[in-house]
Amino acid sequence: MKNMAENRIEEPGMLTHRDIKSACLFILPLITLIFLFILVPVIGTFINSLFQDVSFLDKKFIFLKNYQQLFSDPGFRQALKFTMLFILVSVPLEIVLGTIFALLMNADVPLRGLLRACVLIPWAIPAAISARTWELIYNYSYGLANFIFTRLGITSEPVNWLGTSIGAFGAVVAADVWKTTPFVAIIVLAGLQSIPEEIINQAKVDRANLLQIFFKVTVPLIKPVIIVALLFRTIDGLRVFDVIYVLTGGGPGGETTSISHYAYKYFLSGDFGYGSAVSVVLFVVAFSLSVIYVKVGRFETGQI
Amino acid sequence: MREDKIKKTIVCIGMVFCLTFCLFPFIYMVAVSLSTRADFLSQQVTFNFTLDNFRAVLTNQSLHFLDYLRNSIVVSLLSAFFCVVVASLSAYAITRLKFPGKMYLLFFALAVSMFPQIGLVGYLFKFMTKLGWINTCQGLLFPYIAWILPLSLWILVSYFSQIPTELDKAALIDGCTYWQSLSKVIIPVAAPGVLSVFLLSFIFAFNEFMFALMLTTDYKARTIPVGIALFQGLHGQTPWGNIMAASVITTLPVVILTLVFQRRIISGLTRGAVKG
Repeated sequence: MKNMAENRIEEPGMLTHRDIKSACLFILPLITLIFLFILVPVIGTFINSLFQDVSFLDKKFIFLKNYQQLFSDPGFRQALKFTMLFILVSVPLEIVLGTIFALLMNADVPLRGLLRACVLIPWAIPAAISARTWELIYNYSYGLANFIFTRLGITSEPVNWLGTSIGAFGAVVAADVWKTTPFVAIIVLAGLQSIPEEIINQAKVDRANLLQIFFKVTVPLIKPVIIVALLFRTIDGLRVFDVIYVLTGGGPGGETTSISHYAYKYFLSGDFGYGSAVSVVLFVVAFSLSVIYVKVGRFETGQI
Repeated sequence: MREDKIKKTIVCIGMVFCLTFCLFPFIYMVAVSLSTRADFLSQQVTFNFTLDNFRAVLTNQSLHFLDYLRNSIVVSLLSAFFCVVVASLSAYAITRLKFPGKMYLLFFALAVSMFPQIGLVGYLFKFMTKLGWINTCQGLLFPYIAWILPLSLWILVSYFSQIPTELDKAALIDGCTYWQSLSKVIIPVAAPGVLSVFLLSFIFAFNEFMFALMLTTDYKARTIPVGIALFQGLHGQTPWGNIMAASVITTLPVVILTLVFQRRIISGLTRGAVKG
């Protein structure tokens, strides 16, 4: 090993065999783990999606039949529609709220550290556990939501949150927005902190008011960060599962079943072929989005 | 100066809104866990303080709450530890050694971190069944490490690349091996970053749901999020008091961790998502 070090210093900037050899050794554990427990399962899912693979039946190669079936499957279409609608409603809400929270977290207020920690809490708590609390909040006869709504006179009757399709949709969106807004806030905060103070001061000297500063100076400067957050949240929203599994179980009548949850139901009933086909569709969509994300978010920062 | 006043008022209102928004479900959770009845918001019912819910979850063996908690803590701590070790090795190679294709490795890791979990969990279930690892802690541990590694790698690369190379070059000249320059120079210097990665990996493993749902069947390996999600009680009616008490016991350590290490967590998350 000692020779290796000398070698490296004698020939700076050269690719040496020993360097490559030890680099391989250093990255081997990472590659092995990701290969075995992520890549192999993903490839396996792709292959499984070409089979009729139901528990206790013989496995049969049917090529694209599962995918053909997908196109005419109303359940899948419903799941697709719900997932898209879910993203369209929850992601913009998260971005707006997250930006507001980030502005507050960046403001010069007493106990700023405590405020930041409190904002982090919804993100840090396991989604399945907070979803269980939301389930109780949405309880028809004694939940917090109906208590507030009837006391404040927003609705005269209690709302059937989890039993109606609109109620369940709103319930899922609210729980998800609560859970993920902190993440957006943290990302946007990073963007805000990178704005040089002189620019804001200059705008003040030029007698711009608060709104003008925000929309004409701050927003353009944090736009890249917001795009990153937007893409990240969209990819994350595509695979939404925990909240739905706990809160609505996909109900009422499959109205809030996301694509992940739809595939999961097939896995649960032992139909691995069809479940895999559903997962592959989601995978392809998420993967194409993440390629965009990589292009937008990182290629500019050629740090290493 | 009028503008300053307006700004102050807006910030004050915003703070109240923000804190209420973030904390009210958590406060409600605590309130229900300390109440004799979960329906204390109904008009005829009053709030009566009790610790029975906590006593029940902590002492009633048949609820298996402590088993779930133990599984979660063991798996999450081990995942976080191995993530830090494996990711440090790779981050060292990427930032300090010369080898072709390191950018590809990084972007490959980034792409992997965006895979939807449902795209692997079906096959993973079959794979683990073949290995006989269903419902074991190692059956969760390995997928967890692999799942969290890409993010850990990104964050660590970001921290490591900020350490001046002269530091470890000096160590190499003094006769250190690569391994020694990583463990004796880089890791101590990047300790805050390593701590961030450890905390984030722990939180991710602790919060993970889908793998645990598919790959465990009972209290021998089931983790606490799944345990609480599937908690139905023994007598039909949903035992909200017990569920909320269990939730409080589980989230309290996470909340304290967040309060104490807020700065480290935010710094890690930011590097993972934006700066790269």
